[in-house]
This record gives sequence, structure tokens and C-alpha cells, in this order.
Amino acid sequence: MLVFISRRLVQGLVVLFMISAFTFFLVNLAPGGPSSLIDFQSTAEQREARLKQYGLDKPVHVRYVLWLGDALTGDLGKSINQGLPVASLLRQRFATTLQLALAALFLASFFGVLLGVLAALYRNRWPDHLVSTLTTLGMSVPNFWLGIVAIIFFSVQLRWLPASGNFTIGAKFSLADRLAHLILPAGVLAFSLMPNIVRVTRSALLELRAADFVRTARAKGLRERMVLWKHTFKNALVPVIAILGLVTTVLFSGSVVIESVFGWAGLGRLAIEAANGRDYPVILGVTMLVGVIVVLVNLSIDLLYAVVDPRIRRES
Amino acid sequence: MVLSTPKAKKQSSRLMRKFQRNPLDFIPLVVLILLILLVVIGPWLYPYEPQKANALATLANPSAEHWLGTDELGRDVFARILSGGRVSLAVGLLSMLVGLLLGTLIGGLAGYFGGTLESLLMRLVDMFMAIPSFFLILVIVTSFGNHPAVVILTVGLAFWAQMARVVYAEFAKFRKSEFVEASQALGGSHLRVMVRHIFPQVLPQAIVLASLGVGWAILTEAALSYLGLGIQPPLASWGNMLQNAQQYLFLKPTLAIWPGLFIAITVLMFNLLGNTLRDVFDPRS
Repeated sequence: MLVFISRRLVQGLVVLFMISAFTFFLVNLAPGGPSSLIDFQSTAEQREARLKQYGLDKPVHVRYVLWLGDALTGDLGKSINQGLPVASLLRQRFATTLQLALAALFLASFFGVLLGVLAALYRNRWPDHLVSTLTTLGMSVPNFWLGIVAIIFFSVQLRWLPASGNFTIGAKFSLADRLAHLILPAGVLAFSLMPNIVRVTRSALLELRAADFVRTARAKGLRERMVLWKHTFKNALVPVIAILGLVTTVLFSGSVVIESVFGWAGLGRLAIEAANGRDYPVILGVTMLVGVIVVLVNLSIDLLYAVVDPRIRRES
Repeated sequence: MVLSTPKAKKQSSRLMRKFQRNPLDFIPLVVLILLILLVVIGPWLYPYEPQKANALATLANPSAEHWLGTDELGRDVFARILSGGRVSLAVGLLSMLVGLLLGTLIGGLAGYFGGTLESLLMRLVDMFMAIPSFFLILVIVTSFGNHPAVVILTVGLAFWAQMARVVYAEFAKFRKSEFVEASQALGGSHLRVMVRHIFPQVLPQAIVLASLGVGWAILTEAALSYLGLGIQPPLASWGNMLQNAQQYLFLKPTLAIWPGLFIAITVLMFNLLGNTLRDVFDPRS
């Protein structure tokens, strides 16, 4: 087990190291990279002074080592446009994104598994077809458009829910207010995450129905409901957990867009602002943070997997 | 000496059989062909220019003159849908081609040769899978700007890793198979074995993934342009039309409906086509 854990840990670190090098060199070597920002109508001396201020006078590989060293101590440099440390910007924005992400993940898992079970139980009958239509739509409808349509319907026409922001500005903190702001973006994001979960749940359940131990359980005379919940369902959750890594990456990609639609000041919005304003330290910082989260999620899934399924431990 | 690969022929006949049995499953293909014809030929026939503003007819309702009305500058919405469709479909198809080529090349090399090359290339694949695609795209667009060619390459680059995984698995499976060894024993070069013998086995799966991938690429380009980081106005794309429309949600909500509807229908058709092709090529799932 220890060997398995340390091996996965090393693999995760290698991937993170590669992400850092890839993004850093991509950003710094691009034509129109950071040094082109210091191209005001200034004298050669002023230019040099500014290059020095941002540390851009050193060769790129030296800069990478310095940046990586600082990053390891939690210092990701300063935002060019906002003048604030990148790390503190990330901290501010992360909490907002986390609310959205957890809410969407919860909704998507709950309804995804529910619909998947339903589809498997009523295989090839109308509930199965309905669920399959829903998942195909979830894959096809652009989530930002769904967000816009939801705003038109629930905010503009019905005036039930607020159209943007994650709380009413100026109002006192209240849970109801937060939830009212959360429900549309989280719901829309969840809708685009659901298809993966539904499909995996459905096919895992169908595959297991034919498994030996399920037949044995039936042969023992257990009631069908008992067979489903005690024997089949638990085992079907294993592949569902396994795709949560993929779901996390989709979740982060989706949150970039959804935060913009609903005017949430989260990590995704920060990334867009940085991309529009060519704020290199910020875009590097956001990408690294997201990379770390994805690697950590995948690592925990692997560990969880190994705990649940002894065969995986032995394999390594 | 030609060693025939029997699977390829069987597959085209499977396609025919599927068509005879369930012709309805091919509706998405028909719709897509019609859609492509519409955006390719449409702008020649429809009398309005997509870029031409008309201060006398802003935010007009749909009419016999302006089929889908006009936007805030008086530009004809249908004309913009047509020319935006050209852009969206072209970006979607071309970036998929980029992803398909890169993924097949890297996945194929890793799977066929194995060893150090395999671990090197597959770590690269791992890396691309660990960065959420949208962040990768943001990094590249920040660095290289948003010329349409950059957008195409970028969206393709965000997809290739998935393709590489699938191709890799197949190549690794066939590397030690008898027909590969036979061809090698007869003096077939690595290139020949890869292209003539293994690639045709992988192709069906690659096509299925590519069809689903075009849908994904169109969605991604739309989102990117919606955020102002993809195709830039005044050139219309379905995504950047939505960005404009969001400012007029209270005044003219239908402006936001049309482009999204076209995106959704197009992507839906590519996804349904992907499902049909999967049924044909891979009856197990």
C-alpha cells in the first residue's frame, strides 16, 4: 500500500512539475510575451529599469527556477494590473469558486446517480429513453447559453431569482440570499456535468446485474430491492468515483464560463480578466492552482479506489 | 506483398446494414449536410450583409424582410447566423482535425514503440489531461493572441490528449498481434505496419471520438468567443453573437436565443452521429 501511495504521489508531482514548466515557458517565450508589455515610449534606461523591476532582465530558464522556488514557498509574484500578490488574489477568489463547484458537484452527483439508476432499472423502456435524451442534451447545449436562457426565464420574465452576483451587494449576510444567488449557476453547471455520471452509473449497474455474486444473491432468495441496494449499487459506485477526476476538470472549465455569465467573482472570472489584460503572473498562478487541485483530486480518488478494491493495491 | 486487413471491409458493410435496418439513425448526418450547405451557399442567396449596420432598423422583430430580425446596430441576425455558422463549423472541424492528427501521431508512436518513448509521451498526455482544457486555452490565447488560426490550433491542442489515449491503447494492443509480426517478418517497415495494418483497426474508434469531438470543439469555440477571447467582432461567430446579445436581455431576449439554438442543434447532431457510428463500429457498448 505504501509503495502504491508513494508511486502515485511521485507521478502527481511529475505532472505538476511539467505543467509549471510548460505554462511558464509558453507564456514567457511567446511573441508578445511579458517583456513586450514594457514597451512604452520610454528611454532605454527607463525600459531597463522596468525590466529589472519585474525580473525580466534575466534569461528565461533562470527566471523559471526563481519563480518555481518562490512558488514552492507560496509566493506567486505580483499581478501586473492589480499590483496585489497573486497568492492573495487566488485566496480571495477561491472561496467563491469553491461554493459554486461544491454545489454543482453535489447536484450533479445526486441527480446523475439517481437518473443512472432509473435508466438501468427501466432499461430500454421510456424512463431510459428519457434519461438518455436528457444526457445527450446536457452534452450538446452550450452551458453559457443555458445560463442566459435561465436568466431570461427566471430573472427577466418571472423575476424569481437574481440575475448576477453571488450575494446582494450592501445587504447583510443571509443564507437565503446566498442560496438564491447560487441556485441558477450551480444548476446550469450541474446539468453539463451530469451526462458523464449518468452514463457511468447506468452501464456499471447493467454490467453488474449479470455478475456471479448478484446471481448468487438472487439465488439465496434475497428480495430484488435488497439485491439492488446491498449488492449491486455499492459496487456500481466504484466506477462512478473513478470518473470524478474527469468531472473535476470539466467542472473547472465550466466554472470559467458560468462565473462570467452570472457575474461571480471567482477563479474563472480572475482567469478571464488576466487573459484579457495579459496579466501573466496571474494566469500562471491560476493555472498552477487548478492543476494542483486536479492532481490532488485524482490522487485521492486513486487512494480511495485502492482502499475499496484490494486488487489495485496488489497490482502495483 | 499486401496483407489484407479484413476488418476494414467488414466495417463499411456494417455501415450499410445499419443504414438498411435503421435509416432514422442517419438523420443527424442529413441535417448536418443541410446545415453545411446552408452556411456555405446561404450567404450568396440571402440579400443582407452580415457586417452592414442600419441605424434605421435596430432591434427589429423578425419579418419577411429580416427573417430573424436585426441586432442593436441594425445588422441582419440571419445573415450573421449564416456567416457565423461558417466560422463556427470551420473552427470546429479544423480544430478536430488538429486534435485527430496530433493524437493519432503521438498515441500511435507511444503504443507501437513502447519503452522510454511510451513513458515520455504518455506523461505528456497525463499533463494535458490534468489541466482543465479551458485554462490551457486561456494560457495559450493570452500568450499568442486570438487570431482564428491560433483559436483552431488551441482548441485542437486541448483535445488531442483524449484522442492519444484511445489510439495508444489500440496500438499497444495490436503491437504483439500475429498480423503485425507477420508483416514485420515479411520485411514491412515500421511506418508501413503502423499505417497499413494497425491504423485501419483504430480508425473506427477514432472516427467516433472525432465526431463527438467536433461537437465539443464547436462548444469550446463558442464559449471562448462568448468570453471575448475567441473570434473577434465584427467577424461574426455564434459565440460572440451571444456576448453582444447578453447586454440586451431585457430589451430583446430573442437575440440571445437564435445563436444558441444553432449551436445546440449542430452539436446535438454531431453527438447523435457519434452515437450512431459507435453503434455501428462497437456493438458492445
